[in-house]
Amino acid sequence: MPNLANLADLAHLHLLLNHFPTIGTILGVGLLLLSFIRKNDHLKKVSFEVLFLIALATMPVYVSGSAAAEALKGQSGVSQAAIVTHNDAALGSFILMEITGFFAWLALWRMRRIGRLTTGLTYTVLVLSVLTVAAVSRAALLAGDIRHPEIEGGQYAGLFGQSTGSGFISAAGIKDYVLQHPYVWPTCETLHFIGMSLMFGVLMIVNLRLVGWLRGMSFASVHRLLPFGLMGFGINFITGMFFFIAASEQYTQNVAFHWKVVLLMLAGVSFLVLTVYDEAWALPASAEAPLTGKLLGASALVLSVGVMYFGRMLPFIGNAF
Amino acid sequence: MLTSLAQSAFSTWLLSSNSIWAYPTVLTLHTFGMMVLVGAASMIDLRLLGFGRGIPLQSIERLFRVMWAAFALNAVTGTMLFIADADKRGPSLIFWTKLAFVALGLVMAVLIRRRNFEGGAEPVVISGAAKRLAIISLLAWSAAITTGRLLAYVA
Repeated sequence: MPNLANLADLAHLHLLLNHFPTIGTILGVGLLLLSFIRKNDHLKKVSFEVLFLIALATMPVYVSGSAAAEALKGQSGVSQAAIVTHNDAALGSFILMEITGFFAWLALWRMRRIGRLTTGLTYTVLVLSVLTVAAVSRAALLAGDIRHPEIEGGQYAGLFGQSTGSGFISAAGIKDYVLQHPYVWPTCETLHFIGMSLMFGVLMIVNLRLVGWLRGMSFASVHRLLPFGLMGFGINFITGMFFFIAASEQYTQNVAFHWKVVLLMLAGVSFLVLTVYDEAWALPASAEAPLTGKLLGASALVLSVGVMYFGRMLPFIGNAF
Repeated sequence: MLTSLAQSAFSTWLLSSNSIWAYPTVLTLHTFGMMVLVGAASMIDLRLLGFGRGIPLQSIERLFRVMWAAFALNAVTGTMLFIADADKRGPSLIFWTKLAFVALGLVMAVLIRRRNFEGGAEPVVISGAAKRLAIISLLAWSAAITTGRLLAYVA
């Protein structure tokens, strides 16, 4: 069992996980293109599901990357400039990946409502996912410049330049902005709590219905509320990223934060399963969900309370602030 | 009075005990209660504002029970947190503003329930007055969270 609070092990984890976003998005785009050729809506659905899951899987990749950067700090033969360039590229591709995941979910959600995929959303996901492949590949190539002596002198080393701060997004710029303006952190904290309540409200109504504690409503009627849940998540992702970028060393080695990310990914998976869970969506208002549905609902509630618990416990179980 | 509360044995235990069951747990329960209370209230408000129109009001009436249970939890944990920091919270304008917004949110919940959920028959159209209550409720809870959060930074 690796010690997750150990920077070297977290850096190792980054090396294991960092292939998922690149390969996963390419797989998602490939399935989507294949679905056009085969005119297969089911395959389209699968490609959206893959893209959503990869968007979830990218979270620990970015987070462990910050730990890897800390582990490399001050080591000889490592270019700090290359780390900064890679990190900025990774941040940009991470944001793009989450936007792609959001639209992939939206396409699945719309499909649930109108029974077929809409062309507009399908092409939006296609364009976004192709852009994500480009951005994430660039981030991956730039990572090669950090310390891989075997590629030095090759024609692709330093392909995107070594200069820092030239990118579209600068993590250092965001960090300075948050730390130099005293109103940013409390504002983000406030929005983080509001987003959390909104998200939990949606999860509560849907999952308590699944469990059977709320009765007399069909899933179709709750459908319209689901985007509010993802909206709450969006608010919390953005504000959470401000916290993480501004004080990443408070989180990278914080075991409460590791648990939070793990539970968040699992909660995301359960939200996806719920969105595509045909049996539940076909249930009439008065019918009880099958046992698997009840278990899904109960686990979603436990997971989301767990995410809140480890978030609140960051300063107490871990060592933040 | 406030100073003696803040210097009480309970306050000392809550603030300076190293146990995870002291301040961290009370604070986490307070956050949990807030999330459940505001989450349930906002779902009822959104329904009244026309989102998820197909949801029968009867089927979500149980959410009021969830709200009151969460409020009870937060009244208890909130009192504990107040005692711990009584000398700081007592004179704080932000703190009393927060309580006023919580009270406003609760009053809205009572009014919303009385007007839309009681009396048996499901209202076919949600009245403009009910929608206004729902908007005030959403604003009141957002303001309560904002002022509550600010306590950690300003007061």
